[in-house]
Amino acid sequence: MTTRHQISVTVNGVNYQREVDARLTLADFVRHDLSLGGTHVGCEHGVCGACTILVNGASMRSCLMLAVQADGAELTTVEGLSRNGELHPVQQAFIDRHGLQCGFCTPGFLISTAELLQGNPNPSDDEIADALGGHLCRCTGYQSILESVQLAAQMMREGTIVDAASPAEA
Amino acid sequence: MTTDMNNSLYELPTESPRFVGQQVRRIEDPALVSGSVEFIDNVTLPGMLHAAILRCPHPHARIVSIDTTAARQLPGVVAVLTGEDVKRWCNPVVTAPEGWGAYCLAVDKARFVGEPVMAIAATDRYIAEDACELVEVEYEVLPAVPDAPAAIAADSPLLFENQNSNVMLQRVYDWGEVEPLFERADHIVRETFRWNRVGANPMETFGCISQWNLADNSLTCRGSYQTPSFMVLGRSASLNLPSNKVRIIAHPHGGSFGGKGGPRGTDISALLSRKAGGRPVKYIEDRAEYLLAGGGQSWDRYYEAALAVMADGTVTGLKVKLLDDQGAGAEGYGTISVAKPLAAFTGPYRIQAAQYDLTVVATNRAPTFAYRGYGPPPHNLVLETLMDSAARELGIDSAEIRRRNYIQPEQFPYTIPSGNEYDSGNYPEVLARALQMADYEALRAQQQTARDEGRYLGIGVVSTVEPGVFDWNAYRTAGVQGVGVPEGARVNFDMLGQVTVTVGFALEGQGQYTVAAQVVADYFGLEMDAVRVVCASSDAAPPHFGPGGSRVGVALTGAVLGACHKIAEKFRRVGAVLLQCEPDDLELAGGAVRMRERPEAQLGLADLAGTMLARSDLLPPDMDPHPGATHVWTPPGRTEPDEQGRCKSYLTAANATHVVLVEVDPDTGVTEILKYVIVDDCGTRLNPANVEGQVQGGVAQGVGAALLEQYVYTEDGQPLVSTFADYLMPTLHEVPITQKGAVVTPSPFTPLGAKGCGEGSIHITPAAVICAINDALQPLGVKVRETPASPSRIWNLIREAGT
Repeated sequence: MTTRHQISVTVNGVNYQREVDARLTLADFVRHDLSLGGTHVGCEHGVCGACTILVNGASMRSCLMLAVQADGAELTTVEGLSRNGELHPVQQAFIDRHGLQCGFCTPGFLISTAELLQGNPNPSDDEIADALGGHLCRCTGYQSILESVQLAAQMMREGTIVDAASPAEA
Repeated sequence: MTTDMNNSLYELPTESPRFVGQQVRRIEDPALVSGSVEFIDNVTLPGMLHAAILRCPHPHARIVSIDTTAARQLPGVVAVLTGEDVKRWCNPVVTAPEGWGAYCLAVDKARFVGEPVMAIAATDRYIAEDACELVEVEYEVLPAVPDAPAAIAADSPLLFENQNSNVMLQRVYDWGEVEPLFERADHIVRETFRWNRVGANPMETFGCISQWNLADNSLTCRGSYQTPSFMVLGRSASLNLPSNKVRIIAHPHGGSFGGKGGPRGTDISALLSRKAGGRPVKYIEDRAEYLLAGGGQSWDRYYEAALAVMADGTVTGLKVKLLDDQGAGAEGYGTISVAKPLAAFTGPYRIQAAQYDLTVVATNRAPTFAYRGYGPPPHNLVLETLMDSAARELGIDSAEIRRRNYIQPEQFPYTIPSGNEYDSGNYPEVLARALQMADYEALRAQQQTARDEGRYLGIGVVSTVEPGVFDWNAYRTAGVQGVGVPEGARVNFDMLGQVTVTVGFALEGQGQYTVAAQVVADYFGLEMDAVRVVCASSDAAPPHFGPGGSRVGVALTGAVLGACHKIAEKFRRVGAVLLQCEPDDLELAGGAVRMRERPEAQLGLADLAGTMLARSDLLPPDMDPHPGATHVWTPPGRTEPDEQGRCKSYLTAANATHVVLVEVDPDTGVTEILKYVIVDDCGTRLNPANVEGQVQGGVAQGVGAALLEQYVYTEDGQPLVSTFADYLMPTLHEVPITQKGAVVTPSPFTPLGAKGCGEGSIHITPAAVICAINDALQPLGVKVRETPASPSRIWNLIREAGT
């Protein structure tokens, strides 16, 4: 059957040591083994983007990675965006601009937006579309998401919270 | 005015609402952006097992044998369910029309690829799926009915042996003197259309956790349920349980759009729980399952239609002949989607008479389900394309022919030939605003310039009516009984003056909890964060239906206002005791009950609620000390359908005009949307941001249906769609950024004048985009008559025309 492996990952600043099946996806590991349910699974074949998390600062589809591949990595999930009980500006901007409806795809959008704004504090509409064009949302029609990202960029340029894409402090 | 209703019941006791009508932030959102909402797959119960379902690979096959020996021996497997168990314990699902339903697992034979054949509960999902791979099923493959034309062929194999044919429903409706109008017409415009299957595809698939309590033979199901009370009745019928022993706990879900499926997954997990000694069993549908056989397929149609037109452009008659493929039975209530067009059959136009020739058949495709709009979007494509064809034949501008045929503002309430009554509207104004925002004349000039340069630009100007606030009576055609859909809300004050609103439906994205909080806060002069909205389980909630048919925003507003009104009456009676006056001397205003003549004599709401809950000794013994109330709202004035299906069904008629500019590249067949302008009128906009969100979301799904999405089947009935690489959902790159405007014509019949608007642009966008494409292709002499207008389809049309 499947072999088991000992892994060590740091998620949102917290270190976890677990023994996992080789075939366990990173999405299932984060959601079910670590009980971090904010990372959602929409398609399990890497198209919809709902399960996007940061692995060593870069966005990855956690449904297309195995947990064992994340051994030694630092991960950031949507639960790691807020600090000290305050929402990350990207989260606040999505609320302010109605950038979500059902909210199921939203964690993936938030993670990719945080990554985008970390590297590009003033993205154009085309750059936003390039960064988020791999995410599916069935509710909003994307217009309010685009506006949310623009607002988040503005909020972050104005210095609410700058250090967007690195893991939160434990 | 033909509908009598006491609107005063539904007024807000404030002249300057702080929240209703404002673009307030949604109370739903902080939890959603934090990733802390309890979607069903985030829930774990003690002892919980995980289900996997083995599905049939053939469109039509007899099940000769199932060998589960090896699967049962796999460590971790706890329960195995087959058709034999189901035949012993269950009934086929109830359908409308009756007698077209299957069991939750195939019994004796399977009728579509993806139909559940057996299921396993194990200690984790990975093991359950391993076990399914160890099951040996022997099939005898039967001749398949791959599509609707095959279903009505003389030698068509029967899907349901209890029926004489594959025809579920066949009848012709005649509304008015259709034939004479066609005989007198100066022009008759005819078109045929093929609308291919599309569907909901919410980002979260269906999921549930079922637990069968063996001690009292009751069932509790938690899950992503859109219509909890409806699920209770269905499970009661299919699982042979008293309806009060089925309890549904609806969790927030990741979108629904009508197409969440659920009954089979619920029944299968419930029976697995029963076989597993009552341990809870979780079933999470995966995307491949959803795409193959979930609740995600809708509207598989062949149309022939004609319009009778006079020389001056007046449209007098409409004939629509529809052959509708429901797939393998009516379990998903897709049949309703052929009935709903009756609610707005002739669109926004004064068409005098209409005919609907309806044939609904079963095939070996997946059963069809509801999808946002529930039927009219393809119908609107037909009607609007005919309007454009008529305009072309008469040499009239496409905006002008619509303007000439609109129902006029002073004609409301207006009864259309198919029986429904439109409440109010101002269609000419909506069109005028849209043309102005789009700078229509400039667009036409731009189109001409482009044509001179050999480029193919096209403009769609399309108007539709969105029937809102559904009622069962609209679906009598499909065999649905009932008139009047209830929606209840319970509003309770605690002794500190904080409010909890209890409803019977869970969050799925449209922001209705925010609307409830806006209404309560304005009614009682509270801050919105003093109002919490919660979903009760089906046994504890007030009577409810939940979201569907652009209804619950209006219905919930009515329920909440009704409850608030009852509470205000109680507060005035308590206030009268404490202030030693008559209740009529008191009014609710500014967050207090005060004397009309001496406003400084007032009592805060917390004082009143606190008195009722903690100092009832101060109250007369016959006074109800409950600072709360329940109100169940149903739409007023709904009527029993006549023999032609005519009735007052949908309470509201929202209206929109879209103006779309596209460019079609004749070398690749690719359509690019260059400009998209929307003006809509859904009456009072309770939360304009919510409305715009529904409008824009509908654009995305409409663009998907028009350009991208199709459930493809082979000629022998095999589905070719099982991933999002096959079913193309629009992304940020394909959905246009739209310019939006609003006209507000309040409904005279609804609380606060709001009209149903949740389905939004899906009613109109497919028609608008296809009309624009056909306008672009006109110089090439070709026309799109099949959706989606994919690049290959357009490229082939152009190539076949030899231009």
